[in-house]
Amino acid sequence: MFSFGYFLQQTMNGVILGCMYALLALGMTVVYGILRLINFAHGALITLGAFFTYFIFSQLGLPLLAVIFLVLGFGGLMGLVLDVVAYRKLRGGPEVALLITSLGFYTFIENLMKMIISPQPYAFKTPAFLSTIIRTQYLTFRPIDIFIIVSSILIMISFHFFIKKTKAGIAMRAISENLEVANIMGIEVNRTISLAFIIGSAIAAFTGFLWGAKYGQISYDMGFLTGVKAFVAVVVGGVGSVPGAMLGGFILGLAEILSIAFLPTYFAEYRDGIVFAILILVLLIKPSGILGMKEEVRV
Amino acid sequence: MLKLEKISVKYGVIPAVNDLTIQVKAGQIVSLIGSNGAGKTTTLKTIVGVLSPFQGAILYQGKDITSFSAPQRVKMGIALVPEGRGIFNRLSVQENLFLGAYHRTDEREIKKDLDWIYELFPRLLERKEQVAGTLSGGEQQMLAVARGLMSRPSLMLLDEPSLGLAPLIVQELYRLIQEIRNQGVTILLVEQSAPMAIRVSDYVYVLETGFLKLEGSPEEVESLEDIKKAYLGG
Amino acid sequence: MKREIPHEVWFIIGGIILFVGVLLANQVLNRYLIHILILMGIYSVATASLNLTNGYTGLFSLGHAAFMAIGAYSSTLLTFPLSLRKSYDLPLLPSILGGPETAWPFLPALVAGGLMAALSALVIGVPVLRLRGHYLSVASLGFMVIVTTFAKTLRGITRGSMGISAIPSYTNIFWTYFWVLITVYVVWRIVNSRFGRAMLAIREDETAAQVLGVYPLKYKLLSFATGAFFAGVAGGLYAHFTKAIRPLEFSFFLTFQIVVMLVVGGAGTTSGPIAGAVSIIALRYLLKPVEERFALYGLIELIYAGLLIVIMLWKPEGIMGRKTGRIGG
Repeated sequence: MFSFGYFLQQTMNGVILGCMYALLALGMTVVYGILRLINFAHGALITLGAFFTYFIFSQLGLPLLAVIFLVLGFGGLMGLVLDVVAYRKLRGGPEVALLITSLGFYTFIENLMKMIISPQPYAFKTPAFLSTIIRTQYLTFRPIDIFIIVSSILIMISFHFFIKKTKAGIAMRAISENLEVANIMGIEVNRTISLAFIIGSAIAAFTGFLWGAKYGQISYDMGFLTGVKAFVAVVVGGVGSVPGAMLGGFILGLAEILSIAFLPTYFAEYRDGIVFAILILVLLIKPSGILGMKEEVRV
Repeated sequence: MLKLEKISVKYGVIPAVNDLTIQVKAGQIVSLIGSNGAGKTTTLKTIVGVLSPFQGAILYQGKDITSFSAPQRVKMGIALVPEGRGIFNRLSVQENLFLGAYHRTDEREIKKDLDWIYELFPRLLERKEQVAGTLSGGEQQMLAVARGLMSRPSLMLLDEPSLGLAPLIVQELYRLIQEIRNQGVTILLVEQSAPMAIRVSDYVYVLETGFLKLEGSPEEVESLEDIKKAYLGG
Repeated sequence: MKREIPHEVWFIIGGIILFVGVLLANQVLNRYLIHILILMGIYSVATASLNLTNGYTGLFSLGHAAFMAIGAYSSTLLTFPLSLRKSYDLPLLPSILGGPETAWPFLPALVAGGLMAALSALVIGVPVLRLRGHYLSVASLGFMVIVTTFAKTLRGITRGSMGISAIPSYTNIFWTYFWVLITVYVVWRIVNSRFGRAMLAIREDETAAQVLGVYPLKYKLLSFATGAFFAGVAGGLYAHFTKAIRPLEFSFFLTFQIVVMLVVGGAGTTSGPIAGAVSIIALRYLLKPVEERFALYGLIELIYAGLLIVIMLWKPEGIMGRKTGRIGG
C-alpha cells in the first residue's frame, strides 16, 4: 500500500517540520523557564523574520551567508526591544500580566504586518541553488531541505552547549531556578533575561526564513499557530528542559506529517486538531512532559 | 567595615525592620540574634541589596552603598549565604561553585580558589558533577558556604547556617566559620538558636519584632536572665 | 446600627431601571443603534463570564470562543426551523430531544447550549485544572482549535466551513439585557458567597488556600464551568442575532476581543466587564468607517492590541478597577 520510499519521504518532511518546531521551542522553553511566560510574541518573530528575509533575500538578492547573519541580528534586536519595552516593566508582578501583554504584542505585530504588507500571502522565492530538485532512489528533495536539517542541528548543538557550559547559560539556569539567589550571586538578572530573549528571538526569526524557503508562502498570520504549536512542543517534551523542547518539536512535526500521510485523506482537515490532541493526551498522562521534572510551585 | 545607620525596611506596607543601627568591624564575627519574624533575614537582604530600606543608610568600607544594586555589592566583596541555603538544586555542585565566582573575571584565580575549596571540603570534590539537589542537608550547607567563599568576600553574611543540621555538623560548621574569619573575612551571623553563635562572636545584637533590643559583648549578653530564657534554652 | 439595604434589592431596582431604559431605547433609537446595543449586551455576557474564570480565580482561559461556538451551534440545532432542515442538510431532532416534529423555543435552547458548554468545560477542566495556570491557557487554546476543527469537519450537523444560515432571529434587545442582568447577578452572587471567597483565596495564593482546607480543583472547576455556561448562552444569543454562524467566527480573535474587553474594563470587578464590552464595541463602530475608507485592514485589531498593551503596562487594574496594594513583589 505505502512504499518504503513514501514512508522515508514523509519521515523526512516530518523531521524538517520537527526541526522548525524544535528551533522555536528552544527560545520558548528558556523564556518560560525564567519568567513562567508563554511568549505568544515569539510567534510574531517568525512572521517578522520571514518577511525580513523575503525583502533582503527574495527581493534584494543578498548572498545567503549575509542573509543568515542579518536575519539573526534582526530577530535578536526585535527580541531585545520587546523585552525592554514590554516585559521588563512587568517583572515581579502577576505572571498572568506577562501572558496577556505578550498576547497583545503578538496581535499588535500581526495586524501591523497586515496593514503594511497586505492581508494576502506572499510567494517566497528562493534562488535555484536552494530549490533545484534532486531525485534519488527513495527520496526526492531540494538543497533547502538539507540546509534546514543541517542548520537546525548546528543551532541545537550550539544552544545546548551554550546553556550547559557557558557562564551566561549557567546563569540562565540559575535564574530559572531561583531568581533572588541568582541576584545575590551577582548575576545581572535583567541583562541575562534580555540575552535569553535576544537568542530565542534570533532563532525564531531565522526559523521564519527557513519556513518561507521551505513552504514557499508567507503571510501576516503565519506565526500564530506555529508559535502556539512550538509551545505545545515545549509542554510535550517537558517544560524547562532544553533536550525536551527539541524532542517535543520532533514528535510534533513527525506526528503532524505522518498522520496526514498515512490516515485517509479526509483526516487532513484534522491536522491542527491532532497536535492539540497530543497536548491534551500528554497533560492527562504525564503533565510534566516526557523529559521534564515536576514543576515546583513558586511560593 | 559595615555600618547600618537607622535603617527601616518595609514589606509592602508591613514594617519589618525599624530604625536599626548596627556596626560590624573588620575581622570580627558579629551575630544578630532573634526569634522568627524579628527581622534578621530582612536585615541581611537589605545589606546585600535585594531589599532596599525606605529610611537610613548603609555604609560599607566607608562608602554609602544604599543605592547600589545587589550585583554591584557582590563585586565590592559582600557575600550572602542565604537562609535555607539557597543552592541551585538542579545545577551541579561545580556549577553552583562557579556561580559564586560569577562576578569575577580572573579565571586563573578562580581555578585556584576552586582547588582550595575542594581541599577544604573534600566531600564536595567527590560530588562535584552531582546535581546539588541530591546532597544531604549538611553537604548542602557546606556547599552554600563554599559558594559564598568563591566570591572572595571581605564580608560574609550567613543566614541561619545551623538550621536543620545535626549538632555534630553544626560544630564542624562553626569551626569552619572561625577558620574563615581567621583567613581575614569579616562575618555577620544570623541565628535563632543562639548559644553557639554567641560563643564564637566578638559582638552580639539582639533583635525583637523589628527593633534592636540590646547589644553587647557575648559575656554581657549571656549574663542577662531574659536572654537566657528566650534564646539560650534556660 | 444602620440597616443596610440588601444587595438583591439593588439588583431589582437596577433591573427595573435597565428594563425601562431598554424599553425607551427600543422606542427612540434607530435600528442601527439598537443593533450596536444588542452587540454590547452579548459581549457583556461573554466578558462577565470570562471574568468569573480569569478575573476572580486567576485562571487564564483562552478558550472562551470555543464555549461560545458550542453554545451557538447547540442552540441553533435545537431551534432551527423544521421546514428548512431538509434543504439545509441539518438533522431532525432525535426522540430524546423532542423528536423529529419539534423545534425548541428560544429560552430552553439557550440554556441547553449553555449546559453543553459547561459540560465540555468540565471534561476539559478535569485534566487541565489540576495543573498550574499556564497549562490552562495553552490547553484551552488547543481546545478552541479542536472545536473549530470539528465545526469545520462534522458537516452533518455544522455544514462545515460554509456555516449555518437562516437561523431564526430570536435575539432582541430584551432577551439580551435579560441575560446581561442574570449573568451579572449570578457572577456577583458567586463572588460574594463562601464559594467566591474560596476562589479569591485561590487567586491570591493557591498553596495557602490549600492549607486552609480549600480544595482548589473543585472551585476552579465550578467557576470554569459556570463561566463556560454563560459563554455558551452568549454564543446562542449571538447565533440568533446574526442569523448565520461559521466556524471561523469563533477563532482566536474572538477570544482576544473578550480578553481585551475584560482587561480594559477591569478584571475582577463587577462593572468592569460591561464597561469594557461597551467601550470596545463603541470603539469598533467608531473605527470601522476609518478602516474601510482608507483600506487599513487590521486597524481595529491593531488598536485593540495597542490598548491592551497600554492598559497592562500603565493601568493594569483597568477602567473600573481600583489599585490594590501588592505585598512584596
